[in-house]
Formats: sequence, structure tokens, C-alpha cells
Amino acid sequence: MAQSNLSELRAKESEFTAISQDIKGGSSAALCSVCKGSRLLCGKDRCPVVTRYHAHLKASTKFSENMAGSSPPSVFVGRAGYPKVYIGPMVPPIMGDTEIMDMPEMWVGKSIDDILGYRMNLVRGMHAVNVHNVENGGRIVDETRELAMGYGTADMEAVFYRRPSGRMTFDDNTQPFGPSAPLKSFDINSLKIDHRIDKAYSDTDLRAAEAVIGLYGNGTMLSRLQRSFSVGAFGIGKNRKFVPTRWSITAIDDILGKNLLQSTRDAPIITDFEVYETESLDNRWAILMMPCTWRYELIEAWYPRSVWNPYGQGIEIISDWEFYKPRKTYARIGGCYYSARLAVNENLTARNRQAGVVIFREAHAGYIMPVGVWNVRENVRDAVKKVPKKFVTLSVALAYIQTKMDIPMTRWIRTSGILKDMLYQRRIEDFLGGRAEPGLEAQDEDHGSEGQHSLQPI
Amino acid sequence: MFKAKVRPEVLKEVVDVVSTTVDETKITATKTGISIKAVDPAHVAMIDLTLSKGGFEEYKADDVALGVDMDKIKEVLRLAKPGDMIYMEHDEERNRLVFKVGNITRKMSLVDTTGMSEPKVPNLNLPVKIVVKTDEIRQGIRASESVSDHIALVANPEGFEMISEGDTDSVNLKLGKDLLEELKCKEETRSLFPLDYFSSIFKTISTASVVTMHMGSDYPVKLEFSIANEKGAVVYLLAPRIESE
Repeated sequence: MAQSNLSELRAKESEFTAISQDIKGGSSAALCSVCKGSRLLCGKDRCPVVTRYHAHLKASTKFSENMAGSSPPSVFVGRAGYPKVYIGPMVPPIMGDTEIMDMPEMWVGKSIDDILGYRMNLVRGMHAVNVHNVENGGRIVDETRELAMGYGTADMEAVFYRRPSGRMTFDDNTQPFGPSAPLKSFDINSLKIDHRIDKAYSDTDLRAAEAVIGLYGNGTMLSRLQRSFSVGAFGIGKNRKFVPTRWSITAIDDILGKNLLQSTRDAPIITDFEVYETESLDNRWAILMMPCTWRYELIEAWYPRSVWNPYGQGIEIISDWEFYKPRKTYARIGGCYYSARLAVNENLTARNRQAGVVIFREAHAGYIMPVGVWNVRENVRDAVKKVPKKFVTLSVALAYIQTKMDIPMTRWIRTSGILKDMLYQRRIEDFLGGRAEPGLEAQDEDHGSEGQHSLQPI
Repeated sequence: MFKAKVRPEVLKEVVDVVSTTVDETKITATKTGISIKAVDPAHVAMIDLTLSKGGFEEYKADDVALGVDMDKIKEVLRLAKPGDMIYMEHDEERNRLVFKVGNITRKMSLVDTTGMSEPKVPNLNLPVKIVVKTDEIRQGIRASESVSDHIALVANPEGFEMISEGDTDSVNLKLGKDLLEELKCKEETRSLFPLDYFSSIFKTISTASVVTMHMGSDYPVKLEFSIANEKGAVVYLLAPRIESE
């Protein structure tokens, strides 16, 4: 049924011309790629890009006020009205193994229709609560937290104040999900609690970041960490609070990425230019790792009619980067910056190496709806698992990437802070002997980041 | 052996300059004073700092290398009250640096220096020499920061210019010969530099002082300025950016 909805959606594309012209008249189409539905930079009450899916993806009528189903398990913490937010379980009217519905780690290679299929039946129960009220919030609060800390499907029954209705919810950071309804009560019939998460929950002296880092080190899956984090299961007792799902995803990516970065910055530098690549959901990815100290950039190019460039005539390219020191301000391209940073650092940590990383992403017109930042994290993770193509110079590596991407390299370079620096910024050692071409050659470096380096003429 | 007594403001000057470039560094102490040479992780900037024995209230050292973490010294500096002195002594047995400030003793483990080799200082023949008030340059940097990430330094026999060009806006600081303390320039030179590096080093130079700049076209700029009331000196090298766009 997701299939039919989608074709309907594509067929009715023309109906949205009115909205698009409205937008074009008022503001720049370039705003969409920065805003991604999160900040309403166009000045409208609701994001027109997101809204257009709602009209056509009306969920079926099979939802009722009393619902029994197996939660993947899944919870959702809203951000509207913060610090008074809606929390609650997400449950489909289906019994059985539903775990994949809330486990983006398993979604690489799936189509947009598959992903919509997983998500559109997830009904969100809503219970208003102050984010600080994690301890004595009543039964719904307690059960929501338990559900979040569980693993494996949890059979449950939910009673709503009214029949779940409405539309799917789309967001740049979080995975889409189905209709919602105010929650009267719910009962979990069976639930397996992850004992490692439960231990961190019981430890009210353990800081949240330390809990997350420790559990991740033990092999706990990211989606489980994020769920528990969002229900305030970690941290110093008095600091615990609910964290909107959207924020918790980026918080986990940032905490773990920064932690891995500490060892990356001390590790030996790779010897060649490496290019990893993958393609999924009409997104093309190329990950360039360069033999230099840590620096990182994510460049996203949105084709006209792809999600975040719905009304533009030309391609929108935006990027954010950091050099050796992690950035202090929030990346304007959003949570995906932190998701990809974690993914590349997992790779570098695993092989005890340091590199400078530039990620090229071309989102083509077939990428029609926001699915969440997992798309960035999991695809970059997937790409760097493969065997890279290796090159001796930056220029050859860039020439290879050009064969995979449609946008001219000159335009990528013009947008990029890191590539421009690699190509045009000279290094102190360039002036030790004769004058060499800077940046273009792999430098034979094996020293880490202790801050001082022996400089050899190249 | 290393044992010294120093005023907090002198130590702070050293830490501020070094922190622009590295988080950890090797301090080389000899009978006559200390020196620090360091290159930043991107290999774009280099500092060569010396502080003579005279910069300290008391000083005694044999040749020794101390690997220190700048953030930790900053923590010690924060403990100093006006008029306090900071005492430092190397505990060779446990390879620690022991600080005493007020009634507090802070024992600081040192960083292993074996992996820290001495960076080579390029031997540059830079044709232009300018001596200018630090304040003038800082004003130019302040004006440029909202306009571009880069700054062009231009010198000709008539004077010195700092130019920053963005997509739509530009800033130009022009200092004629008469506004400079000294100008040695036979023909025009021009180089482009990353503004953030330039800005962060200038923040550490005391406003009342002057700075000497040596330049050549598409060559590093070499800044020289003094610290600790002329008892110390800093040479700062910043590699240029090639104007290719």
C-alpha cells in the first residue's frame, strides 16, 4: 500500500506547483537545503515540503481506540512545546517480530517503499509530560521508559482517547512514523530489558556521556542507546530528563563521534588517498580519506526535485567542515554532519589510523522524502566497510570521484573548505627545500598529533 | 634540573602564544632560559619562542626537555591571585612538574617527549621588512573578520596594505610609509593568508607593542614580537595560500 501511495504522490506532483510558486515568490529555494523542515525559514506555519506528503499518505482505517500489537520496541519523545512534550510508545497493530521497524541499522539497501512500509503502521501514543518529570511521572512515564530500555519485540496493548488518525510524520533527523493519538493507558505483556542498559539506568552517579560511551563500547546498538537516552535513562540522577527523539539522535552521534575522535587524532596517518563509495535511495556517496591530520567535511548536493531542493531550478550545494579541533558551533547542515562523522571515526578507530575526510553526497531527484539521518550514518558506515580505491595524489583521487559524480569537481571544490585548503594552502615544510607543489602529493608522515612534527622536505 | 619562579602574567603570555598553535609541546630548558618550537597539526603555522633567564624572578636549569599540556598550565594560572608568584620544579624521579601557587601545590604529570622531534625552521630570504604598531593590524583584522576567511598582505615602497575580499564586500587597511615605524621594500610583494591563524596570533601580542613582519610574494610571513618586557621573543611563521580562484 505504500507503493500505491507513492505512485499517487508522484502523479499528483503537478498539484504542488501552486505551493512552489508561492515559495519562490517569497523566499529563496536555497533555504530548504539548510532548513530541512526544522526551522521554517520560509516563514510558513508548516513546512510545505513535508506537508505535501501528508495529504497523500493518509494511513488506513484499521487503527482503533484499543490496539494490541508488538512494539519493535519503540518510543517517541516530541519536541513541540518543550519543556512540556509528548512522550509515549510507538506500536503497530501487528503481532509478531517487528524489530526491524525501529532498527535503522538494518535498513541499508532497502527501498523508500520498504522503509515507509515499516514506519507507516507505527502508531504514536501521546502523553504530555514535563521533560524533568522522569521519576514520578506516573505509570505511562514508567512504562515508556521500560519499553525504551527493552530489546526484542514487546507485546502490548494500548488504549487511546480517540482513534489514531491523521498522517505520517516526516522529519529530517528522525525516521518517519504513522498516525498518533492521545494515550489513555498501555500495558506491556512481555518485555526483555537489556541488563547492561538497566545497569547504567540504576547508576545515578554515572554521567550520561560516560554511560553512552561505555555501552557503545560493549557493543550496544545505536538505536537502543538513542531510545534509552531519549527517556532520560542515563546521567546523574537529578539531571535526568526526557530528550526529544530528534535531539537524542544527534546527541548520541555527537557524543560517540567526539569520543572516537580523541583516539583518531593521536593515531598514525594513513599512507594513500582512499576513496570509498556507495549508492542508495538515489543518493550517491563518495568518501575521500586523505593522508593528513584529522579534518572533516560533509558536502551535500541537492538536485532539483530531491527532498530538500523541491522548488529550485539548479543544484543546491551546502557543506560544513572542521579542522583538527572539533567545531564548537552546530553544523548548519544539521544532524547528518554528526552521523557521518561518527561513521568515519568508527572506521578510523577500528584500524587505528588518522586521516582527513571529505564526504561527497549527491542526492538525485529520486530521493523524494526525508527518511532520517540514519540514512547518512548507515550508508557511510556501509561504504567504509568496502575495499577502497587507493591513489597517490589528491588530484588523481578527485579525478576518480569525478567519474562517479555528475557535478563538476570545480563546483565541489568551490563549495568545500577542506579541499580548498588542501589545494591552495601551503605548508611550512614546502619552504624547507625547493618549492614543491603543496597539498597534491601524499606526504610521507607517520607521526601522530602530539603537536610537534619533524618536517622533511618533500 | 629545572627550578623557577615566575610572575603569572609572564607564564600566561607564553601559554597564550603556544596555545595558538599546539595543545601539547616540548619546553627545552637550558642554563640561559627556555625555548619552544612547534608546528600546528595542519603544518600551516610555526612558532619559535624563547624566554631568557631574565624573564623569570628566579631560574635554575640544566639541559632538560619538559613535555607539557597547555590546558593544565592554564588551570594553574587560574589559581593565581594578583601579586602571587608561581613556583615550578621538575620532579625528575616521577617525571612531574610541581607547581606552587599561593598555598596550593599542583603536581602535573608530563607528556612523553620521545615522539616530539624538533621541527625544522625554514631558512627564508624575505625581501620586505615592516615594523608596525600592533594596534593598527588588530584594527584591520577586526574589520576583515566579517568579510572573508583570508587576508592579503601587500607591501610596496609607498606603504603597507591589508586587503580582505569577500563575495560582495571588501575591507582595505592602508598604512602609508609615515604611519609605519619602519619600511624596507624595493618592489611590491603580495601574499594571501588564512585570517583565523593571523587573527589568533595577533590576539596574543600586547597592544602597546610593535610587530616586525618579513614578507615576500607567495612566501610565508614571518612575524617577530617580544614578550615578557623584552625578556622573551617570538618568531611566528605562517604559510601562504595560493590565489588560484
